[in-house]
Amino acid sequence: MLLDVILCGMILAVALAAVSGLGVFRAVVFFVVHGVLVSMAWLRLDAVDVALAEAAIGAGLTGVLLLSAVARLERLAGGGAWRQRVNVLPAGLAAAGVTGALMWAFLGLPQPAGLGAEVAAALPRAGVENPVTAVLLNFRGWDTLLESVVLLAALVGVWALTADDDWGARAGVAQHAAPGGVLEGFGRVLPPLGLMVGVYLVWAGAAGPGGAFQGGTVLAAVALLLAMAGLAPAPRVGAPALRLALVAGPAVFLGVGVAGLAWGGFLRLPPDIAKPLILTIEAALTLSIAVTLALLVLGRPEPGDGA
Amino acid sequence: MIGWLTFVAVGLLLSLAGALWRVWRGPAQADRMMAAQLVGTGGVGVVMVLAALGDWAALDVALVLALLAAFAAVAFVKANSADGAGDPEERAPDTALLQPRAGREGDTDRGGDEGRSGAGGAAP
Repeated sequence: MLLDVILCGMILAVALAAVSGLGVFRAVVFFVVHGVLVSMAWLRLDAVDVALAEAAIGAGLTGVLLLSAVARLERLAGGGAWRQRVNVLPAGLAAAGVTGALMWAFLGLPQPAGLGAEVAAALPRAGVENPVTAVLLNFRGWDTLLESVVLLAALVGVWALTADDDWGARAGVAQHAAPGGVLEGFGRVLPPLGLMVGVYLVWAGAAGPGGAFQGGTVLAAVALLLAMAGLAPAPRVGAPALRLALVAGPAVFLGVGVAGLAWGGFLRLPPDIAKPLILTIEAALTLSIAVTLALLVLGRPEPGDGA
Repeated sequence: MIGWLTFVAVGLLLSLAGALWRVWRGPAQADRMMAAQLVGTGGVGVVMVLAALGDWAALDVALVLALLAAFAAVAFVKANSADGAGDPEERAPDTALLQPRAGREGDTDRGGDEGRSGAGGAAP
């Protein structure tokens, strides 16, 4: 109890520090710290799957994305011209209003009975032992399928910002590092471990916490590290293999879903072969999620301008 | 045993609060970043104790945190290279990064951001 009170207090303090408007860099660092603390909070709530995702996304990938964005803003505007005085009062009032409305809506909801009992009853037919994976890929496959398409759409949105002349070039800015330096060394040490942990998380997702999203995020981080350490060039946005990797997850998911029509309905999985089907979908999804997330952080192709 | 583990977890959390103070105080960007790394490391410790308190599957979270907490530091050093895509080791060490920037970011209500003029913006 004391532990939870202290954790909640720290999360609130860090969140307040992040939005208090005392410098973008400080806010980003507080946001990264916030990810670590919120991940602990999910653990206290026995939501290990969510804690894994929060640790990988909140403390890992978004930190990289936001820190690069801060550095880029300063570089683009020669260090400061982009700063604008934002009137905090209307923004704060609007945020407070939205928060208040959400709280009012939440408190007005009837006490949820929870679907835990029904999921537990149906679990033997799901093909996997982890109830979260069973819901995500079997009972409520629709949501997961659409989420994987949303990720793809987000990447299309980022790529749509590419200048005409740059289309077909390598994704992001050309990355380089000092040969034999600390960064390059780090880029050689971590990826093998990350690869192992990423694949482990996907495999473990069938029986315990983990899954395609968590594993894919770790793999995305590994790919990003290789690119940032200058060890592997980012792929060209037009490469057929890359396009294939991007659509593999949604395509396989959709294919299995359509095949389910023969068995009784869209996205129905026959219980006898549910486990191999789920593992196939997860493998393809992991690949697509990893590639998509890494490319989202790398950004649109910008060969050679360095700005 | 539960009580003892809870005590350890609370102690670790409070030590993280010390790191939070350093993130707040700075004064250099490197100070804030290193404090965030300390929160990542301490976070691994807290998560491992939480795993012992509750679900051992939580150890996977500690694994992911240990692996990915360092990524923010990689992005930080890259952001402080000459063109934002390189590596500070490619040129002479930049001592400006380690200096507090007096007056640039204090407890004043600037509504803006600390600058990095002379550190990251200038080409070598």
